Amino acid sequence: MSAATRSLARKRPSGSKALLATAMLLVAVVSAFPLAWMVLSSLKTPAETMQVPPVWIPRMPTLEAYEKVAGVINVGRSMWNSLVIASVTTAGILVTSIMAGYAFAKYPFRGRSLLFSVLIATMFLPPIVTLIPLYRMVGSLGLSASLAGIIVPNLANAFGIFLMRQFIAGVPDDLIDAARMDGASELLILYKIVAPSVAPAIAALALFAFVYHWNSYLWPLTVLQGNADAYPIVISLSRLLSYNRGAVNTGLVMAGATLAVLPPLVLFVFLQRFFVDSIVGSAIKG
Amino acid sequence: MAKAFRASAGIMLAPAVTLIGVFVLVPMLLTIWLCFQDWSTQTPFSEASFVGLGNFQEIFGSTSVGRDFKTALLNTTIYTALSVVLILPLSVVFGLLVYQRDVAGGTALRTVLFSTYMVPMIAVALVWSKLYSPSEGPLNQMLGLVGIGPQPWLSSPRSALVSIVLLNVWQQVGYFTVLAIAGLTQIPGSLYEAATLDGANGREQFRFITFPLLRRTLLFSAVIAIINAVQVFEPVALITQGGPVGSTNVLTYHIRRVGIERAQGGLGSAMAVMLMLSLMVCVSALFAFVNRKDSE
Repeated sequence: MSAATRSLARKRPSGSKALLATAMLLVAVVSAFPLAWMVLSSLKTPAETMQVPPVWIPRMPTLEAYEKVAGVINVGRSMWNSLVIASVTTAGILVTSIMAGYAFAKYPFRGRSLLFSVLIATMFLPPIVTLIPLYRMVGSLGLSASLAGIIVPNLANAFGIFLMRQFIAGVPDDLIDAARMDGASELLILYKIVAPSVAPAIAALALFAFVYHWNSYLWPLTVLQGNADAYPIVISLSRLLSYNRGAVNTGLVMAGATLAVLPPLVLFVFLQRFFVDSIVGSAIKG
Repeated sequence: MAKAFRASAGIMLAPAVTLIGVFVLVPMLLTIWLCFQDWSTQTPFSEASFVGLGNFQEIFGSTSVGRDFKTALLNTTIYTALSVVLILPLSVVFGLLVYQRDVAGGTALRTVLFSTYMVPMIAVALVWSKLYSPSEGPLNQMLGLVGIGPQPWLSSPRSALVSIVLLNVWQQVGYFTVLAIAGLTQIPGSLYEAATLDGANGREQFRFITFPLLRRTLLFSAVIAIINAVQVFEPVALITQGGPVGSTNVLTYHIRRVGIERAQGGLGSAMAVMLMLSLMVCVSALFAFVNRKDSE
């Protein structure tokens, strides 16, 4: 919005400003409430979580529920598995997306737009459509029930290629040509010139991929076939709900959920600028 | 030079194209091939035997296989339509709240809204299952404060699917709000200036400037919202298992149950193909609708 519209828009009466502020506050409260409730409930005693009407703020915050979570699931192991899955997948996506994005942005080869369209079309394919044969294929490769089985099929994706192409297209050709004149190889140009020029977009893609694969549930659940040693945290969580079902497990469930939510949420809070920029970039440039 | 380009292009594209080819395109083609086969997921692909349209006859037939699939298709349609109908208008309203400059705090609001999108769906499902708890859950208590009686939420076939839509909207609306803001930033401020000089009020400005110029953004949002909505899985798998009485049995859950858990790979693939076709029809119809509006 230009400065002119902003100054025009500022002529609102103070009554409508109060209404606006109230609406904003209401939206923020409704949006934040479930997570606030989650954290508060994870700090309650079992008796407090069962009370009717519900207790809002725990009188004596306790970490009891977290200790119990550690007794039901292997928290360290699950968190480690999630970290391995999310980081290795992200690293793969970055390498494959930057390379392919560069080729699509800067090489005039025949069939380029057709190949790009075919790859982009896969972005709109819900994973369930390929789940059954993929499950069988990964099984035949001997990768089922392992972290590799979760990671390998996800090392490249259309969204990453799309995002990288959009941003690499904006890198000046002169910069790349000058490096070619100096005899630099294409991979060296990619590493030394192209990648640094699109660093914010790479950061955004890295964060997106990490959070997506930290949170992903359907594929790991399908491929792991009950091998609890390889469970990421999101799958271990489901065991908290079935543990002691019907009895007092609310605190337990909330503590487990809090643990699983923390890594992606902390990443987001510190790096949200990149997230937002890349969504805006992908929407506008697309 | 051209030859060198071709070689380099090959090297640069090989990893991504190979991976997407092997792990997305090949399985997609296999799904299409399998939908015409009788095949158990526990056997190699070579065991499949051709049955023509037999799987489709079965999933649209009057046996329990057909009834369950048609229920899942209908539930998914309702779920998707409700999600889109709620998410799109909310994203525009929230986008305007974040984008306006009369009251400070827009960016903070955006942060709060978008943060829910970072929460793993499994945690969303767990937390909301407790929020919805009829006796000790806070939602019914809050409704009681404004004089509305306790709701059954996830435990009644009449309200379970809608309850899952609500938690989905809560999780996703922040993402679509950011998309809406991206669209709003593309509208030239001079249009509003001219409209204000012409005496157009806020509502008229929204109707004749903001909304028409957001149409492309909303189309993009609608497509993404549809694709996201058909993927709903965690709340169903974890909390309702498709119940009560099939009311939350949605396609992603049902296809996985048939194709993986019951190992009926052919039937599951036929259902997956139907999902793919429905999506294609739906998205093409949306594009056609928006393009016609554009040319008007």
